[in-house]
Amino acid sequence: MVAVLEISNVSKTFDGVKAVDGLSVAVEEQRIVGLIGPNGAGKTTLFNLVCGFLPSDRGNIVFRGRSVSGMGPHRIARLGIGRTFQDLRLLRKVTVLENVMLAFQHQAGEGVLHALAGWKTKREEQRNLERARSLLEFVGLADKASGLAEALSYGQQKLLTLACCLAMDAELLLLDEPVAGIEPETSRRILDLLQELRTGGKTIFLIEHNLEAVRAISDFVVVMDEGRKIAEGTPGAVMQDPAVLEAYLT
Amino acid sequence: MDYVLHLLTIVGIYVILAVSLNLLAGYTGLLSVAHAALFGVGAYTAALLSLHFHMPLLLNLILAVTACAVVGVVVGLPSLRVHEDFFVVATLGLQVLTVTIFNNWTAITGGPAGLPGIPQPTVFGLTITSHVQFLVLTGVFAVLAITVVKRLVGSPLGRVLKAVREDEVFAQSLGKNVARYKLQMFVIGGALTALAGVLYAHYLTFIDPTSFTVQESIFMLAIVIVGGSGSIAGSVVGAAVLVSLPEALRFLGLPSAVAANVRQILYGALLVICMMFRPQGILGEFAFRKR
Repeated sequence: MVAVLEISNVSKTFDGVKAVDGLSVAVEEQRIVGLIGPNGAGKTTLFNLVCGFLPSDRGNIVFRGRSVSGMGPHRIARLGIGRTFQDLRLLRKVTVLENVMLAFQHQAGEGVLHALAGWKTKREEQRNLERARSLLEFVGLADKASGLAEALSYGQQKLLTLACCLAMDAELLLLDEPVAGIEPETSRRILDLLQELRTGGKTIFLIEHNLEAVRAISDFVVVMDEGRKIAEGTPGAVMQDPAVLEAYLT
Repeated sequence: MDYVLHLLTIVGIYVILAVSLNLLAGYTGLLSVAHAALFGVGAYTAALLSLHFHMPLLLNLILAVTACAVVGVVVGLPSLRVHEDFFVVATLGLQVLTVTIFNNWTAITGGPAGLPGIPQPTVFGLTITSHVQFLVLTGVFAVLAITVVKRLVGSPLGRVLKAVREDEVFAQSLGKNVARYKLQMFVIGGALTALAGVLYAHYLTFIDPTSFTVQESIFMLAIVIVGGSGSIAGSVVGAAVLVSLPEALRFLGLPSAVAANVRQILYGALLVICMMFRPQGILGEFAFRKR
């Protein structure tokens, strides 16, 4: 198996507190890898290190054989790492459709000269509009396309952020709590979609507190506590590991 | 009649300033209070070039646009380093610094005495002298500025600017180079202020630092906010209302010393009323707010 993402011995300290402490994880191609652990274990910090929103103090992060340590977040995103946020980042005052259209890469119309002169942009916009509609169709938000993003339910907003990641055409998706706190029906739909995406060739690395969900869809699980990796393996094995049970109970 | 033409010309100059500031503050969320400094750089560049070298308007304009674009980068650079409140303070610093240079580099800028006797501009051999000619010239420049901003914000680039304004982190996570976009908008916004600066210097034939102070920057922001941030039509209406409002006071027959103060009070009151009852401005679609 090929590792798409290799995190080696990465550390991050905030004011003397080791948020991530010498962590190594390999995320293999076309797998769903779950990252679990108690609150404050450093899971979101790890995502921020991978995406370049935080610089790591030590260690190396390699995506598709290329070191991304020290790269800015937009460059890492362009390499093919999509990301959703726990606090659901999207443009709430903008239509659902436009949120997706924003996410497409290599848009000529995003350049000043193209925007001013209008070269190519009309046809490009038309094509992106169709692509965006079909992506919204895929995640089940087609009927909401022209409404504002803020009008969506919490679960639907999570679906929208997923659609944005897909519009980016990212190969690796880092999802921060994709199903936490949403209605069971939407949650099931998201989990189904994730499995479909994996089959379609995507690699998914996700943080999730809903252990049932993690058990149901993950091929591999990594457990963090206090910045360290305390266990990894198949979901069944990991969730019976005494160290893991102890971390969750204390 | 000349009075009306004069008023329309001044409104036109402020339309250019407001539209370019709207690109920064309204559409991209960069609350700059250094816009009057940029305006000043454009005006001084045009004044000096025509005083010393008698250059035609078009050449003046090209050089003033270049100068303002460069200063725009200088003002914009802190925006890549600091955020929100600190950014406002950084632009304030640059604003004050620029006026200090206008005031103290006497050999070049004439200091507080300013630069009198700026010649009237020549366009393709024609010297612009009458009010009507000036108004036409201002109209052309204003339409140019409006067209540039309209095309930018109506394009896919405009969508990115919205994302930069609403949520930088989200924009970055989608692969958008936020720093580059901010800097580009400063260059374009700066370059557009040069249009206003050149017109202003040639039209009044006299400039001094008092026209380019932080109060002027705040006046421009007031036009953008009252008109509606993120709305081009709003900036046009805002400029018309805020520039003509004090003129209306003239007809009340107030003594000039009182009128100047009443004018300031009126602007203040208008801003407060706007924030309380219509925070999105006259024609804006969203409320001006700090993130």
